[in-house]
Amino acid sequence: MIRLVFALLALLAVAIPAQAHRLKLFATVEAGNVSGYAFFVGGGRAAGVRLTIRDRDGHLLHGGETDADGGFRFAPDRPIALVIAVESGDGHIAETSVDAERFGAGANPPLLAATLSTVVPEAAPAPAAESPPLDLSAAAEARIAALVEAATARAVAAQIRPLLEAHAASEGRARFNDIVGGIGMIVGLCGLAAWGFSRRRPS
Amino acid sequence: MAHIPDGVLSLPVLVAGGTLAAGGLALALRRLDDRALPKVAILAAAFFVASLIAIPIGPTSVHLLLAGLMGLVIGWATLPAVFVGLLLQTVMFGFGGLSTLGVNTVNIAGPGLVLGLALAPVLTRLSPARAGLLAALAGGLAAAGTGGLVALALVASSKSLAATAPIVLATYLPLVVGEAIVTGLAVSFLKRVRPETFAAAPAPLAAGVHP
Repeated sequence: MIRLVFALLALLAVAIPAQAHRLKLFATVEAGNVSGYAFFVGGGRAAGVRLTIRDRDGHLLHGGETDADGGFRFAPDRPIALVIAVESGDGHIAETSVDAERFGAGANPPLLAATLSTVVPEAAPAPAAESPPLDLSAAAEARIAALVEAATARAVAAQIRPLLEAHAASEGRARFNDIVGGIGMIVGLCGLAAWGFSRRRPS
Repeated sequence: MAHIPDGVLSLPVLVAGGTLAAGGLALALRRLDDRALPKVAILAAAFFVASLIAIPIGPTSVHLLLAGLMGLVIGWATLPAVFVGLLLQTVMFGFGGLSTLGVNTVNIAGPGLVLGLALAPVLTRLSPARAGLLAALAGGLAAAGTGGLVALALVASSKSLAATAPIVLATYLPLVVGEAIVTGLAVSFLKRVRPETFAAAPAPLAAGVHP
């Protein structure tokens, strides 16, 4: 009896940092950078695992290891669809991809800001000379639109990041229903086998 | 870890594992004894749930496999028990993969099965304390065997040995210790309260057909 109690206590001690067992990868795009981290479903970051970032055709763009928090960051030189993979070396593997559209407007905000700062002084004298003060040239308008789009994309990315993280974490997490369902399945299989035996050997 | 997912192993390794698992399963099902069914189901359920309790170690995480315990208590039925547990884990939690089901079954159940068949007859004659020690040895060795087979499967799929071996070694050493403790305690406890658990296990083997 004492042994049983000890065994249960030992199991409980093991169960306290309870974590499911599956490597996953979270990646998102913010301001033209791909960043994210590798983690085990249920908690625990996968630090120091091998990381590769490739394009859709399999060309290696970046190779390395995740940092102490399992994180990584990569800035592609242009908007491009990426396939990011991590491998822990003992058979755990996880892969995720990022579409080129995700880089869309927010791709290079510093560049856009630079273009605007050169555009506005040029455009400024023009409205001063003519009557409507906000009559920007078509090119300036397009650049401002792009800049606003970039700022919006950055703001939205910052807002949805926690949601994406929560979704990635909950996806694949072992739920109580699944556990009970699996046990029920095993009981059912056992019953099925017992029934088969009883038909084979009528006594 | 022992649950190798899809897309890691090469085709020949997958086919070899699948064939071996299918053959072993067919053999094991022919030897399945109806009186052992509840034991098999309980251990399959324990195996199914044990994988949910994982501890992060270094760049990976480990959990109990219980293959040594299964081999000692249910003998050949370890194979179907592990197979069903793995199938449900794959379908419900996404651990492992459908294509690697055969390889994973062999990796996890194989060492436990061999050790169980070899040591179960010895176990019947031992006192609970000694039986616990022997079972601890079997549990630890089964986990080490699984680690070896996982490394073998990875290396055979052209992963470099230098990259695989240290990680597998580092993650399986604590697992070997954990498995030894749990298997030892469980067998010693069973031996105390239900000694007939081990008296019955080798019976269908002795009466069974020899391939």
